Amino acid sequence: MSTVKVEKIGGLAGFGLPGSKLKSSGETAISALSPADQAWVEAVFQKPRGSQEAGNERDAHCYRITRTKNGRDQTVEVPEAKVPHALKACVTDKLR
Amino acid sequence: MCCLCQIVPERVLKRLAADRKYSAEQRKNFADTIKIDVQLRRLRTQAARLTRVAALMAEAPTVAPAPAVTVYDCNHGQTLPGAQILNPAISPDPTAKGVFSETKSVEAFYSQVFGRNSIDDGGMTLISSIHFGVRYNNAFWNGSQMTYGDGDGSIFLDFSKASDVIGHELTHGVTQYSLQLNYTNDAGGLNESLSDCFGSMFRQWEENQTVKQADWLIGKDIMGPSALQSGYTCLRDMADPDAKHCLAPQPTKYSQVRPGMDPHLSSGPPNLAFCTIAKAVGGNSWEQVGHIWYRSMTGFGPAPNLKMMAFADRTRAVAAELYPNDAALARAVDAGWKKVGL
Repeated sequence: MSTVKVEKIGGLAGFGLPGSKLKSSGETAISALSPADQAWVEAVFQKPRGSQEAGNERDAHCYRITRTKNGRDQTVEVPEAKVPHALKACVTDKLR
Repeated sequence: MCCLCQIVPERVLKRLAADRKYSAEQRKNFADTIKIDVQLRRLRTQAARLTRVAALMAEAPTVAPAPAVTVYDCNHGQTLPGAQILNPAISPDPTAKGVFSETKSVEAFYSQVFGRNSIDDGGMTLISSIHFGVRYNNAFWNGSQMTYGDGDGSIFLDFSKASDVIGHELTHGVTQYSLQLNYTNDAGGLNESLSDCFGSMFRQWEENQTVKQADWLIGKDIMGPSALQSGYTCLRDMADPDAKHCLAPQPTKYSQVRPGMDPHLSSGPPNLAFCTIAKAVGGNSWEQVGHIWYRSMTGFGPAPNLKMMAFADRTRAVAAELYPNDAALARAVDAGWKKVGL
């Protein structure tokens, strides 16, 4: 079954940063997503690197999304405001 | 309507809109999203222009009224701003009441200490949204308003419980309307540091603490029970950025700052410099040193890619300009920056 791994990064508290004591991650089966969210996942990996800018948001999280395709991991980082709710909802906040 | 597809390239949306694998409604949504994207791009361009025009207008010699403070309730959704709370000052919701009161207090801090009228120095309405998301562990500035999550009750409490967090978020707005710092590299670290410096100064001002009485912790009042049990007492410590009691320890030297580093890390050296200088000068942080920082932030126009060294040198020059006969102050400013390698 194909899955996407999701990690929440940054924010005011610094989730997932080097040395941070906070981690937030999870994963979901692509088949468990709605057709629109599946299409979003497909499309977001076609977006050129560095083109997903956050605008004027400050302290917002960013989401690192990884999928395995043809045996290779592909990862993109997307500002929180642009990530579908179903993907944001699959992470759990923890102390390391 | 598929409003989450702004990030999807137009060519992909066009392909999806024509793909008969999707229902007619979904294809219509993709087609509609193309139209929305175009409008959003126009809106963003206009917002940037408005920020520049507003900054120019703020210099005009007109007297703007004190800003209105409004509070909205997201009711655990993630749509901003949410439903307006008509009279937050007497709301039965303690979060609404608290955010209203603390935001008014930050406004009074900027007005009374620095003579600034709101975020834009032109009386801009201060908008806050509360109860954002479910057990949401964050607070943020989205370019036009503050937003607070309730915390998960375990690692974090309600983010609006901390006065320095409210001061921090509102200061991101002040930076947006003054230096207009970017959020990457040196400028990003300075952006975050200014929010920590003014957030901490606000907390000290509100509690009438001297620099010796202050704890210099950021986010102390939002630490939840599991974080406290694990020995974490704050998000960051401006006096000791790499301390073990910080949830997100930071570098202490500029030489440790790397290109692309998250601004919540690279703000460590300028945070430590500010704290060191304020402690060396003594008294209240928001007085001499606060005024040096405020003038360095607001007195020179936009500098989106400002380097930390340039900001450090600017504070040295401003210290000499504002307090020309105070050699001890000049030495303290210089030594504080040198301590972090700037």
